[in-house]
Amino acid sequence: MDPLTWTGGLSLLNYPLMLVAALLLVGILIQIVMSFFVAASTPTVNADGTLTQNAGLMGTIGTGVRMLLLAVIALVVLYIIGGALMGPDAGIVGGMSRQLLPVWIALIVLFAVSIKFKRKLGLYGKLFDSTVGMIGFGLVMFWVIAGVMAGVFDMLVTHDTLSQSSGMKNKLPGTPLRGAEDADYQWFLLGGDNLARDVFSRLFEGAWIVVYIAPIATLFAFMVGITLGLPAGYYGGRLDTVLSFLANLILAFPVILLFYLLVTPEIRATGIPSYMAGVLFIFPLIFFGVLLNSRYYTQPKIRTPLLIVVLGIMAWAYLSLISNEGTFVTNERYTIPGLPAALDWIPMPPEILVVFVSVVFVNSITVFRIVRGLALDIKTRDYVAAAQTRGEGPWYIMLWEILPNARGPLIVDFCLRIGYTTILLGTLGFFGLGLESESPDWGTTINSGRRLLALYPHVAMAPALALLSLVLGLNLLADGLREESLKD
Amino acid sequence: MIKLDYDGPILEIDQLSISFFTRLREIPAVMDFSVTVQPGEAVGLVGESGCGKSTVALGVMQDLGKNGRVVGGSIKFKGQDLGQMTMEELRDIRGSEIAMIYQEPMASLNPAMRIGKQLMEVPMIHQGMSEKDAYERALQVVTDVKLPDPARILNSFPHQLSGGQQQRIVIAMALMSEPSLLILDEPTTALDVTVEAAVVELVKDLGKKYGTSMLFISHNLGLVLETCDRICVMYSGEAVETGSIEDVFDKMQHPYTQALFRSIPLPGADKNARPLVAIPGNFPLPHERPPGCNFGPRCDYFEDGRCNEDTRIRMAEVAGDDRHASRCLKFKEIDWDAPLTLAETKTKGEVGEVVLSMDKLKKYYEVAANAMFGGGETKVVKANESLSFEARESETLAIVGESGCGKSTFAKVLMGLETATEGTITMNGTQIQDTPIEARNTKTVADVQMVFQNPFDTLNPSMTVGRQIIRALEIFKIGNSEADRRTRMLELLDLVKLPREFADRMPRQLSGGQKQRVGIARAFAGDARIVVADEPVSALDVSVQAAVTDLLMEIQREQKTTLLFISHDLSIVRYLSDRVMVMYLGHVVELGSTDQVFAPPYHPYTEALLSAVPIADTSVEKQHIVLEGDIPSAMNPPPGCPFQTRCRWKSEVPGGLCEKDIPPVRHLADGHQVKCHLSDEKLAQMEPVIKIAAQ
Repeated sequence: MDPLTWTGGLSLLNYPLMLVAALLLVGILIQIVMSFFVAASTPTVNADGTLTQNAGLMGTIGTGVRMLLLAVIALVVLYIIGGALMGPDAGIVGGMSRQLLPVWIALIVLFAVSIKFKRKLGLYGKLFDSTVGMIGFGLVMFWVIAGVMAGVFDMLVTHDTLSQSSGMKNKLPGTPLRGAEDADYQWFLLGGDNLARDVFSRLFEGAWIVVYIAPIATLFAFMVGITLGLPAGYYGGRLDTVLSFLANLILAFPVILLFYLLVTPEIRATGIPSYMAGVLFIFPLIFFGVLLNSRYYTQPKIRTPLLIVVLGIMAWAYLSLISNEGTFVTNERYTIPGLPAALDWIPMPPEILVVFVSVVFVNSITVFRIVRGLALDIKTRDYVAAAQTRGEGPWYIMLWEILPNARGPLIVDFCLRIGYTTILLGTLGFFGLGLESESPDWGTTINSGRRLLALYPHVAMAPALALLSLVLGLNLLADGLREESLKD
Repeated sequence: MIKLDYDGPILEIDQLSISFFTRLREIPAVMDFSVTVQPGEAVGLVGESGCGKSTVALGVMQDLGKNGRVVGGSIKFKGQDLGQMTMEELRDIRGSEIAMIYQEPMASLNPAMRIGKQLMEVPMIHQGMSEKDAYERALQVVTDVKLPDPARILNSFPHQLSGGQQQRIVIAMALMSEPSLLILDEPTTALDVTVEAAVVELVKDLGKKYGTSMLFISHNLGLVLETCDRICVMYSGEAVETGSIEDVFDKMQHPYTQALFRSIPLPGADKNARPLVAIPGNFPLPHERPPGCNFGPRCDYFEDGRCNEDTRIRMAEVAGDDRHASRCLKFKEIDWDAPLTLAETKTKGEVGEVVLSMDKLKKYYEVAANAMFGGGETKVVKANESLSFEARESETLAIVGESGCGKSTFAKVLMGLETATEGTITMNGTQIQDTPIEARNTKTVADVQMVFQNPFDTLNPSMTVGRQIIRALEIFKIGNSEADRRTRMLELLDLVKLPREFADRMPRQLSGGQKQRVGIARAFAGDARIVVADEPVSALDVSVQAAVTDLLMEIQREQKTTLLFISHDLSIVRYLSDRVMVMYLGHVVELGSTDQVFAPPYHPYTEALLSAVPIADTSVEKQHIVLEGDIPSAMNPPPGCPFQTRCRWKSEVPGGLCEKDIPPVRHLADGHQVKCHLSDEKLAQMEPVIKIAAQ
């Protein structure tokens, strides 16, 4: 069988695409240069109160650029649709597009439903008023859906991510699988890596690891940051001085060195990462316990059962998280028992735990500082004084009066921070820290592909581009959210 | 640029219309607006917030921003149409021929530049003056605005000056190039009353000295009366009445002007015998204006089929008066002299027994010089010095004073947010001065509640109105179930006269006055017996103020609440309070019934305060007492009497007693006490500050 070309049967679209893209670049350049010389035309007022904007030279150029951009987008969509219809006949692009068909369908359904009901969906709905926000959301959701489908439901992937196929070592994208059975997928769509594994399958399998660790780690970081930042800002004084000083201390410590320390076998043997996990993961418990108690303490009939159920489940989750195979910490000298393995419903291998702890630890400090600043600002408002004068407890004021009104900046920061965390995970993987070397996550894959980068760039390029598009999507999403939340 | 020589009117605005364009629609902000400013004349522009008065000012400056546009009419400055000018020509005129003074002085000054440099820039740019000459000129102007030690001021940064001094610098900057027209946009709103009086006096004097024409924008009718020759009343984007001050104040020809005057507390008003008449309804949003007359739906003289006919109503000249015009179809038919038909006179609730008494209450704060590591020298701020007074059931006690007088600290101690340093607070027979709010029982907490000043800040923006009231009920342990509390919450909404649907609204969907009502409902959730109202209406528009004030009075009559009304506005204090307590730098300088405090003998500070408050009544004659300087800092109070640094009677006390001893509390009449060294004879010589001329 012949190797696949990039576009196969759709190659007749290549030249138009190149032409249009080149024209678009030239158009944008002209637009930038012209804007230095030509003044924008001022609109004139008509008798009926409407405004007329004279197009002028700049207007014409602007329209042209917009048309070219639309043309590029239309061509790209054509590739995807054509690819999905023709499959591998349309080359590698076609093969991937066909393989990702469930993702396209899910994205289209998600967007259609969201846009239809956007007026009823609050801030999320408003996101669909902003082009930048929609592009960001599309990119993020592409990877989230693909990650879930590949990682949880085992869809999308073409080959097993760990099995090696003879003769496929470092093969270029589109190479047919040697000695393929009829049931097998016939090609390595994005080639093989230096251990002769399918890059395409590893890319999407790796997406799952990134997509589930980054948001959860960020969420934990926010819990820690909020639970410490609110009292620091609200009480101020000595507490604030001490906490802020500690935060500065940790921020001043080189992050990479900290990670190296945490994963060193000697340090791990002392159980320090486990103790840190024990401390960091208890914050969600404190957060929700205080949140519900401060709200419902006036009504013990609701409060007590609610707290028992919520805290019970969370305590179970907490114990499952921190204990591994029945122990909390284990080394030569002593063992601290944890939750029995039979009750342990969250598998948390020690190497993932280390990554988790490091990421949460580093991020929570920055969140702490943001929340502290917001609390300092909001605590001077009259509604906080009103709560104080009716005898509300400090935690009610912090969690129900201050926190909800700090949500705007926090949501935006949350999106940006998932992006940082994703990069941090990549960095950790790149340095070979934490995750095992055969893990398909993007950082580790880039690291293993780096050695032969000059000869076989495709092995490292695929995950690098994936990482780029996900973080770009998160940043655009944050921009869109910020823009739309300011409009109301 | 060379100054233009021109004889005609300085500013002619002819049928000006300004609109703002949004993505959704065109929003007309100003419609068919005409005004003429003659040389040396001061014209006042009065109206409620959102009526377009600031837009007119920005239109004159041709600074309407990206989406604002003049859609009709013309603005001529010295005969030249400003709309036809190029950006360069406008830049020459702004700052040199037309200068503007804004509300917030700190925002008008560059915080990173020394005052002198900022002032010198003006003539250096506009007249190409040399640096040396510019410095001389700056020194001259700073002396003109009556700032002490001009050389030092020129060398300081804006944050080193007080608010009043900053505003004087802004005025000085505007006068640097001797403009022909000065636009003042609420120049004193951010200042204290006595400082405001001094600044207004200064603006008036300088206007005369330099012969500058002025466009004075304000929501305060009293201020306009004191500063201007002519007035233009605006409502919802239109001028509704223009004319000379005397014509508009005494012979008003538009129902809105009349309603406005009836809703502000003038000296004759009384909360029981002649209550204020609030204007019904709400100000229309710019894109929801009614057809015909904009004021129609709220007007007492509304005539269906005539006032709401969909035609534009033009300004009509009032015959016999000088340039007096009204935008009303019926002004010739209305009997303007008809006496006000009183809706109802109310009987005052009986003043009951003592609910709250304070005895020699003191609150000192220790301020550490170095907050980070403690240590260092500590300074003591004496926020309250021996407060003693009693408040009875269904009584309104007004607490009057300017910023920094300790009234907020006093409220904090009473509420339990701080504990007293010395002295006692007795409420319902128990002493609560040392019990912080966490240690107080629910009843005590629910009994003392507070209404806050800023309506936009008093409600939590992310919780529905109903939820916030229910939360207060939960905290005060009222009602046994969620349903109970919801019913009670709806009753509270009825009490403050808000529709029940508001329970599910978010605070941002409410207007300022409505938010303030929710704040009141929340304060009364636990059947409060003492309500501390901290300037509850000062941030509201005039027409809404009356309604909210009346609401407070009505609830007080029904619930027999003791109201502690903190305010600096003496007009409203005179209108609604039974007794008045005047505070200065933590001291109670005068305490007595309203009549006693508002009539001589006064404490010298009360006298100055009374004189400073602008009154919108041409028949009132006021003695002009302008206080020099600023309020001293509470960190570093003057020795002896706290008021001695600004007191005009100080020379009447022999032996420099004022600088040595804090004056003792003297009882002048039954329940009237004053903290002053002046002898009885001197006190007896005092003349009333406000005289109502016989009509």
